[in-house]
Amino acid sequence: MAEVTYLEALRQGLWEELERDENVFMLGEDIGEYGGAFKVTEGFLEKFGAGRIIDTPISEAAIVGAAAGAAHMGMRPIAEMQFIDFISCAYDMLTNYVATARYRAGLATPIVVRGPSGGYVRGGPFHSQMPEAAFFHTPGLKLVCPATARDAKGLIKSAVRDDDPVIYFEHKFLYRRIKEDLPDDEEILTPIGKARVAREGSDLTIITWSAMVWKCLDAAEELASSDGASVEVLDLRSLIPMDDAAILGSVRKTNRVLIVHEDTRTGGIAGEITSRINEGAFEWLDAPVRRVTAHDTPIPYAPTLEDYVLPGADDVVEAARLLLAY
Amino acid sequence: MESALTPAAPPADLTQENLLEIYYFLRLTRSLEEQLVNLYRQGKVIGGLYRSLGQEGESVATSYALRPGDILSPLIRNLGSMLVKGAQPVEVLRQYMAKTSSPTAGREMNIHFNDLDKGFLGQISHLGDMVPVMAGIALTFKMRVERRVGMVYVGDGAMSTGAFHEGVNFAAVQKLPLVVVVENNGYAFSTPVHKQTRVASLADKGRSYGIASYTVDGNDVLAVYGLARQLIEAARSGEGTQMLEVVTYRRKGHAEHDDQRYQSEEELALWEGNDPIDRYVSRIGDAGWATPDDLERIDSRIEREISEAVGTAESDPLPEGESAIGGVFA
Amino acid sequence: MARVDVIMPQMGESIAEGTVARWMKQVGDEVKRDEPILEISTDKVDAEIPSPTSGTIIEIRVSEGETVEVQTIIAVIETDGTAVTAAVTDQPPPPAPEAETAAPEPAAPSEPAMAPPPPPPPQPPPPTTPSPAAAPGTMEERLRVKSTPLVRKIAAEHQVDLTGIEGTGYAGRVTKKDILGFIESRGQAVTVRTADIPSPALPTEVSHPSVQAWQGDRVEPMSRIRKLTADHMITSMRTSAHVTTFYEIDYTRVSEIRKANKEEYAARGARLTFLSFIAKAVTDNLRKHPILNASVSGQSIIYRHEINLGIAVALDWGLIVPVVRNADELSLIGLSKAISDLAERARTKRLSPDEVQNGTFTITNPGTFGSYAGTPIINQPQVAILGVGAIEKRPKVVTLDDGQDVIAIRTMGLVSLSFDHRVVDGADGDRFLSGIKNDLERFPEGSL
Repeated sequence: MAEVTYLEALRQGLWEELERDENVFMLGEDIGEYGGAFKVTEGFLEKFGAGRIIDTPISEAAIVGAAAGAAHMGMRPIAEMQFIDFISCAYDMLTNYVATARYRAGLATPIVVRGPSGGYVRGGPFHSQMPEAAFFHTPGLKLVCPATARDAKGLIKSAVRDDDPVIYFEHKFLYRRIKEDLPDDEEILTPIGKARVAREGSDLTIITWSAMVWKCLDAAEELASSDGASVEVLDLRSLIPMDDAAILGSVRKTNRVLIVHEDTRTGGIAGEITSRINEGAFEWLDAPVRRVTAHDTPIPYAPTLEDYVLPGADDVVEAARLLLAY
Repeated sequence: MESALTPAAPPADLTQENLLEIYYFLRLTRSLEEQLVNLYRQGKVIGGLYRSLGQEGESVATSYALRPGDILSPLIRNLGSMLVKGAQPVEVLRQYMAKTSSPTAGREMNIHFNDLDKGFLGQISHLGDMVPVMAGIALTFKMRVERRVGMVYVGDGAMSTGAFHEGVNFAAVQKLPLVVVVENNGYAFSTPVHKQTRVASLADKGRSYGIASYTVDGNDVLAVYGLARQLIEAARSGEGTQMLEVVTYRRKGHAEHDDQRYQSEEELALWEGNDPIDRYVSRIGDAGWATPDDLERIDSRIEREISEAVGTAESDPLPEGESAIGGVFA
Repeated sequence: MARVDVIMPQMGESIAEGTVARWMKQVGDEVKRDEPILEISTDKVDAEIPSPTSGTIIEIRVSEGETVEVQTIIAVIETDGTAVTAAVTDQPPPPAPEAETAAPEPAAPSEPAMAPPPPPPPQPPPPTTPSPAAAPGTMEERLRVKSTPLVRKIAAEHQVDLTGIEGTGYAGRVTKKDILGFIESRGQAVTVRTADIPSPALPTEVSHPSVQAWQGDRVEPMSRIRKLTADHMITSMRTSAHVTTFYEIDYTRVSEIRKANKEEYAARGARLTFLSFIAKAVTDNLRKHPILNASVSGQSIIYRHEINLGIAVALDWGLIVPVVRNADELSLIGLSKAISDLAERARTKRLSPDEVQNGTFTITNPGTFGSYAGTPIINQPQVAILGVGAIEKRPKVVTLDDGQDVIAIRTMGLVSLSFDHRVVDGADGDRFLSGIKNDLERFPEGSL
């Protein structure tokens, strides 16, 4: 066992997959000699060579498009977006080309597009986004968002092996804040599409993912100690495919649901989850489904503004109390 | 990096059999499209119909210059390129008629389909997007040290897109074995080239990326073939990305429903007199490489093949509605 | 010149926030170190907060009535300033995000001088007032106003008429817990098609129904202590299965002992009250009946090792329950002293937060106001509370040694024990109370 950070776990996962399969390669901006903006790929160039660790021009559409073309030929490309905020530059390529390829033309496109996501780091409007909903709506893309070091590793490895395109949202706030003992002698593969119960509880279910898992665990602890409430925290881990069985199972158990995400509110994924609960477990609800999300604004820079816009553990506690008393 | 219209020279590596085969594909392309027009007017072709009248020469010639194992990605007016690579008329008919037996089982339209084993990748409607994708395919060839080449078609309109820029630049930087065929056919839908760009020659754009770029008379089949062959082999031998601008003309509207009000009768007449198939027939006839009998025999074969294909395709059913579900993921 | 922050202190381990009750000093006032500058209110304790330094208050960031997290800066004092500067503190620029290093730690948010805006939604649940068109109409409409999908399903499965159940949820809504309790109380096994409908844990957020005020009425927001008390009482009634049992106790012997020793005790600084004797009897019997000195936690019972005796004290501004820690280790005089000390300090708001926490059993004494007997509400998460009724001389039938019954004048009083029937059976409660009765009626003088 060795204690590794979320970032190191991700790095290990990439490294292991590159070692395992020579069809795996990486492309992105500044990932080679520089080792990546966050040093995720430090040392990769030396180990795997410039043929497999490819520095590209600032061309997100070309990065994703080239990855798709290579994937058609049997390769397993991993495309890095330097910040996930820039994935919108490849939106056309991802939604029109990549997402449709299997359906319209029977083309396998096993690519991974990954990048540092999310806020709480004073990154301003263009280094803080969590643009999951933009791709959630497009059939044909899988979306994963690890919260723990173990899943950071396990999901990147599963994503590389998946036969479909996967967008891997890694949370930069967690990069060096989350540490976990991971076994050295065990291959970690987190199944895509399976949620994880981050905390067991019986009074209320909080459905969440990515960095919000940690905020919700803090909130659950607070609710336990000051309110005596037993809160279950469900870490979805994968948004597409979504673990409906885990969601509905937890709803049937606790009868009260709070959905928490970092992305903005309107058109956010909480809305979709709410609908699924309505359709699948309406009669099990003892209170309306509620959500805690970011406000509908871009992510501002000033700490006071960012903290106001993004959801915090206190917001979760407050919403949970409303539900518990409903 | 010359950009003059080079005179047609008979390519040394073509046999008489090759020359007749090129004729077959030229005529097949045109006849198949004419058949599609009929089907379209009969209401059997369901969506739009996009003609390549006047552009068959460069499509067939550039594709014919590739070798087995090479992969191309066509545009909507490159039916000829696909037929050369092995696409079957019946597949095209089924696609246009949205049959369950079509290569995409009714999910995609017209010539939006692919067969990577035969060497063609299906396009999407977003112009320029195929350039990065083909760069990725060429990247694979390079990484695997395979002596294969990718060819991607763009038009005067597609060159204005960001995807084109990113893809060509990426391919240029990576020195990928990719040939970019620029079809300068005068119009992107109704927009003439002078409203698309300020450059005098579209090949100048290629030069700005630092890649070898040439311009050729796109209606001179053998000239196109000869230059394409050179560029393909240059790419194959590690000289990096190449660009070939073929100057041609779109004699029909953007689609069958386009009244072409923006194209003058004089202009259309001028280019009708510069028809690539007519020029090719004269050329091989004058040179004594083919007899009228040879060509007539090929014409009859094409007529028969198309007639059979239409019969087969027409009788096929449309897909069941529920077959739309599934196949989004592996 | 230096600036010193005044922070909201953490008054007890579990305390997360505090309310500024009153500023005793204003911006511009000079203060001495340890001079009280404000009063705060946390949970059940009010406290004066002394100044951390001598100087001038230059900024007050949290206004009266506002509740903030502990450790929040609530005021700033300039140590040697006489001039009052603008209430703006210079903040260093937050570090720019550096891509090549770790994502930076969030910079300390610069607290605005004004109260920060409230946190983002959740919005409160929509008003549940039925629209005029849907007013008290059909059963279906009433159900929709008062229940939830789950409750309606359970009601259908058990043929329960929801209108007959009193709802404790938001706006009187019948909750899952209400209906399950109702079904259980009518003796029907609850079979709900779920793998696991757990017993709901303690909800502490309580909503009280709205009531229309009439012209001329005075509407006052509840004080913090009143709000807490209100919520606590509702929560307790919802949580525990309350049962109350009554015993009559003959205090004549205790009264005589008390009379005889009162002055001696007073000389030793203790007030020898009936309550002291009762407290002693209670602590002695709690040791013999540990189920009365317990808590319920989920599916478990926690038997408390400590016997911490809470004594309810009525104050002008509310109710408070100071706790005598390890009361069983104290002698009668020790108990007497502890009780009067705590009561006195409760009245003068000088209790420390720890002194109102971790009680394991509570005594309340409505008898001092003349009440004959009460049915007290359990102080959660305890499982029982003893109410002491008025102690006075009453006629009592006494059987003399020779077997003859006579009416005698005796010092009598009722005690009532409310206990949580979830874990305390009637026999447990009665054995406990009869032990107390026995001890008080035969109080050994040696115990003094």
